[in-house]
Amino acid sequence: MDGATIEDGEMKLFERKQAIYKSLDEKYLVHGQRYKGQQYSQIYFARLHHLRNLLHSLVTKWKPHLEVITVLGLEESRECVIVGTIYKHMKLKPCILDEYSKERTAVPLVKPHNFLHPDDQLILEDEIGRVKLRGSLLNPTDFVTGIGLALHGMKTIEGDFLVQDLLEAGFPPQTKLPRLGEDKYVVFVSGLNVGSNIFNPLQFQLFVDHVTGHLGGDNEQKMTSQIVRVVIAGNSVIIPHSVLNGQALTPEDQRKLTEPIKEVDILLTQLAAAVPLDIMPGPTDPANSFLPQQPLHRCLFPGASSYNTFFSCTNPHQFELDGFQFLGTSGQNIDDLDKYSSAQTKLEFVERTLRWRHLAPTAPNTLGCYPFTEKDPFFIENCPNVYFVGNQDKYETVLLHGPEEQQVRLVCIPRFSESGVAVMLNLRDLNCHALNFSADLDS
Amino acid sequence: MASADIKGFFRQKKGGVSKKPASSSRKKSGKSSVGTICLPEPAETPALMAHGKVDRQDEYGDGDEKLNQFDMEMRYGPCVGLSRLERWERACSMGLNPPPEIGNLLRSLSSSNPKLECLWEGRV
Repeated sequence: MDGATIEDGEMKLFERKQAIYKSLDEKYLVHGQRYKGQQYSQIYFARLHHLRNLLHSLVTKWKPHLEVITVLGLEESRECVIVGTIYKHMKLKPCILDEYSKERTAVPLVKPHNFLHPDDQLILEDEIGRVKLRGSLLNPTDFVTGIGLALHGMKTIEGDFLVQDLLEAGFPPQTKLPRLGEDKYVVFVSGLNVGSNIFNPLQFQLFVDHVTGHLGGDNEQKMTSQIVRVVIAGNSVIIPHSVLNGQALTPEDQRKLTEPIKEVDILLTQLAAAVPLDIMPGPTDPANSFLPQQPLHRCLFPGASSYNTFFSCTNPHQFELDGFQFLGTSGQNIDDLDKYSSAQTKLEFVERTLRWRHLAPTAPNTLGCYPFTEKDPFFIENCPNVYFVGNQDKYETVLLHGPEEQQVRLVCIPRFSESGVAVMLNLRDLNCHALNFSADLDS
Repeated sequence: MASADIKGFFRQKKGGVSKKPASSSRKKSGKSSVGTICLPEPAETPALMAHGKVDRQDEYGDGDEKLNQFDMEMRYGPCVGLSRLERWERACSMGLNPPPEIGNLLRSLSSSNPKLECLWEGRV
């Protein structure tokens, strides 16, 4: 990372800063699991168990005068608290059985964006039974299947539950924020989409050159020498769909299949040679499709994986950098929430997952997920300092303050192939700014 | 006629299933005349035999009853898809305090014993 000033001919050498990295991806790895034919009831049981223990302890402070009972123990007009998992009954949710339906009713055209309908209903389920939820407090558009909640209310004559108040798990506890005396930056980028026709190789090359310190004068190089890590949050590669039609591949097609990943490897080798790098799989990458996605295999990156600065990570990805806790996904959890609920901004979805203490509540209902038996790895135990989500439409960020002095920086990372934007986060004060790269020769 | 033996066929006492339905249904088919419908014997329906599982009703004991109760207890979660010992250990690690005698009973069984698997193993 050399830089030369023109005036006095001296060579200024900037040394890149280091940060202590610790990967916490252990719980997202699947290789130790043995599939015994189980169904998803096991993961829902594990989720309910954790959330229920949590909510029980919170309910004693929230409504100390009320009793917590199971769904089957509900009595009419008796105020009580019930704890369980939400199920949202959605009219427009695509169901495989619709294909076999004999009646050709005039089904409303499903909106490609989301499946919300005014008739959606919320139901609370615990191990033993379920009850329909009524009341104006709960707006079905804000909730999805799979959230754990405690509800205060009473059973009505019709047998439904009229909700008077609700309690979410809330922000998880956070370990004390470390204090950094100097500026250290983490760069986030996602959605490179190498292999698609919107990928501009010059644009990403500009990014690589900038981060490795080959561009700019002293000021820029000083700033880039403070970048301690680069995190690529999914969708680095996209396989052209014409190749995936199920037919045998011609040599030309085989080249189309392997070219994108080779190109990514060349670019990542340049990056890994200069700065520690984390790469996460995304929905279009060559990894398993269900969550948690397993790390991309080393053999896909023969060049980059020879560096010890190259780390292939799971999705979701959790790590610690100089004591700061990071948690992030490649976007599937938030995109799925967008299909089954609504909010003003994507950041609102991200905040909701933190308040529900669950990364992906819609898994396994509408989001593919491994059928774990003993645990639900998406349960958020500790509040991260930085919570990032990749492959979003635009760059958005907010610094949240929790009720127990938690501080979380939420970041939505836009798709680089569309926007040319990468995100730079300063660990010292958790401030974020965007790095814009434009290789448009026409403008 | 089958009706004479209906009570025998549906013999279901709390705390134990009838010991020898096989012999009673054999008796029934011996008595049936032309035109009666022979109800299939529970122990020999093809679906159950296809999996080659030992007919549990022959050796139904007190231990089995406890294990079945353990399977049905909703507090420890769904029982299908896990071996009984795994489910017991999961319940332990979740702090649900399952009865220790079930754990001892399961650990004392040989590895090929069908009691190690849940009640519905191979049947659903």
